[in-house]
Amino acid sequence: MEKKGRDVLAPDGVLALQDPAPLLRARNVTLQYRARQHLVTATWRVSFDIYCGERFVILGPSGCGKSTILKAVGGFMRPVEGEIRLSGQPVTQPGPDRMMVFQDFDQLFPWKTVKQNVVFALERVGRFSRREIEERARDLLAKVNLIQFADVYPHMLSGGMKQRVAIARALAVRPDILLMDEPFAALDALTRRKMQDELLQLWQEVRFTLLFVTHSIEEAILVGSRILVLSPHPGRVKAELNAHGFGHQEVGSPEFVALSKRIHDMLFADHVEQAAIHA
Amino acid sequence: MPNLAKLATSRTEAAVSPPVRPEFVVADLKASVPGEIRRELIWRERILDVTAVRRLLVLLTLVLLWEAYARWLSNPLMFPAFTDTIAAFWDAAVRGPLIDRILTSLQVLSMGYAIGILLAGAFTGLAVSTPFGQDLLSTLTAMFNPLPAIALLPLALLWFGLGVPSLIFVIVHSVLWAVSLNTLTGFLSVAETQRMAGRNLGLSGVSFVFRILIPAASPSIIAGLKIGWAFAWRTLIAAELVFGVSSRSGGLGWFIFENRNQLETASVFAGLLAVILIGLTVESVVFRTLENRTVRRWGMQR
Repeated sequence: MEKKGRDVLAPDGVLALQDPAPLLRARNVTLQYRARQHLVTATWRVSFDIYCGERFVILGPSGCGKSTILKAVGGFMRPVEGEIRLSGQPVTQPGPDRMMVFQDFDQLFPWKTVKQNVVFALERVGRFSRREIEERARDLLAKVNLIQFADVYPHMLSGGMKQRVAIARALAVRPDILLMDEPFAALDALTRRKMQDELLQLWQEVRFTLLFVTHSIEEAILVGSRILVLSPHPGRVKAELNAHGFGHQEVGSPEFVALSKRIHDMLFADHVEQAAIHA
Repeated sequence: MPNLAKLATSRTEAAVSPPVRPEFVVADLKASVPGEIRRELIWRERILDVTAVRRLLVLLTLVLLWEAYARWLSNPLMFPAFTDTIAAFWDAAVRGPLIDRILTSLQVLSMGYAIGILLAGAFTGLAVSTPFGQDLLSTLTAMFNPLPAIALLPLALLWFGLGVPSLIFVIVHSVLWAVSLNTLTGFLSVAETQRMAGRNLGLSGVSFVFRILIPAASPSIIAGLKIGWAFAWRTLIAAELVFGVSSRSGGLGWFIFENRNQLETASVFAGLLAVILIGLTVESVVFRTLENRTVRRWGMQR
């Protein structure tokens, strides 16, 4: 791996020219949480930069602390070492400038209708007038094709629809960065594919900055423009790769297969080494 | 085990070469639609779907059994018939003091219930905001929830004397712990994702409790309110039976006690009927409406 060190991690040309300072900067972030008996180190000195408009994916096997990193960026937990800065300000607590979309379907508030869920978020932010709130809520629900379900309670929606509402709610408040924690993992394969396409289409229209966590190599390449590969126990940075311009049409293409094999080998290299040691 | 193994091998041997069958694609699906995809339910299915109708049928059966047994026994001093009870009820309501008694009871009850709920709210609010509060509430509910409120009546009479304050004291005791326990359980079982979604929007402290925890825990809270109401009602009637009339007017319990002393058994039954009717009305009108408008509508409870 000669592609290591900070010099080679230069941001891709166009975006860097527009905005040379990264939007989100994580420096040597070590995260620990308490289990019943002992302290678990989830990640160890993880660093990465996310630039405006990037679709940044954190990829790794279970146990690499990728969800924990997302929680730290969301402000739900504090690093024991290092720091996370958003537009230069250290992240200390949760806030609507970093809207989060979770894996669980129960992230919507069941006592509010689809539209009320979006409106509630907009009201909490307190940046919009009554008319703007109404407009933005309708606009975003239309963008995720759920406008005809605006007055329905969440329990009447399917899993995919609930996730679309959650995405609409998150994007409506115009966050600095959208955080997604394996948002499609609980969906069936066909719906997942559709949701990935819709997310990319939404990004084409809105151009938000995305931090996306997944354990699927294919999803990482499809959704991401840049992929951070983590190794497990504890999570450490293994590589940062570019994955621009891969859609569902490219899934079978040689480039796609090559990249996916490269990541696959990276993730499983350690296992082979370990197996060699044990043998 | 050997038999099983044998069976398995013989199966696989038989399935070694499944037949290769031709493929097919249905050209026109519309031609194969079944006749009945959805149909209207017939009237019997629809009527039996209404809970009220089914419950009414149960009540009617019970009333018939009661009337038949009472007539067979024919001892109105021990077991008056349904018709006698209704007559006594009517008489007591129109000419007698029944309505007055009911109002007195309900007045005391609603005061005690309201105070109990407010205290429960304060306690659980403290419990979710501080670790100490949670330990305090858990210990207190563990101690006092199993303690029958009526057992505190002698103490209440000592402290507050014969009268409404004593009644309210025991009612508050019976409501407070049941409601607190349910509310706290509800708060603690709110899903982590929902909490994080709330905090993500910048909610914390009091606004977090009111805008996330309370609605998210509403099934448990309503269950607690129902249990608390039943406890309060029971405690009140029992307490009124024990120390009877306070100052000028007594409640329903007193009405029952008074009539038993005069061996007006039909009126005792009428008093009990009033207790049941009020309980039933509150349960099926007040709480049911509340549930229909909230947790059932939101799909949080079936």
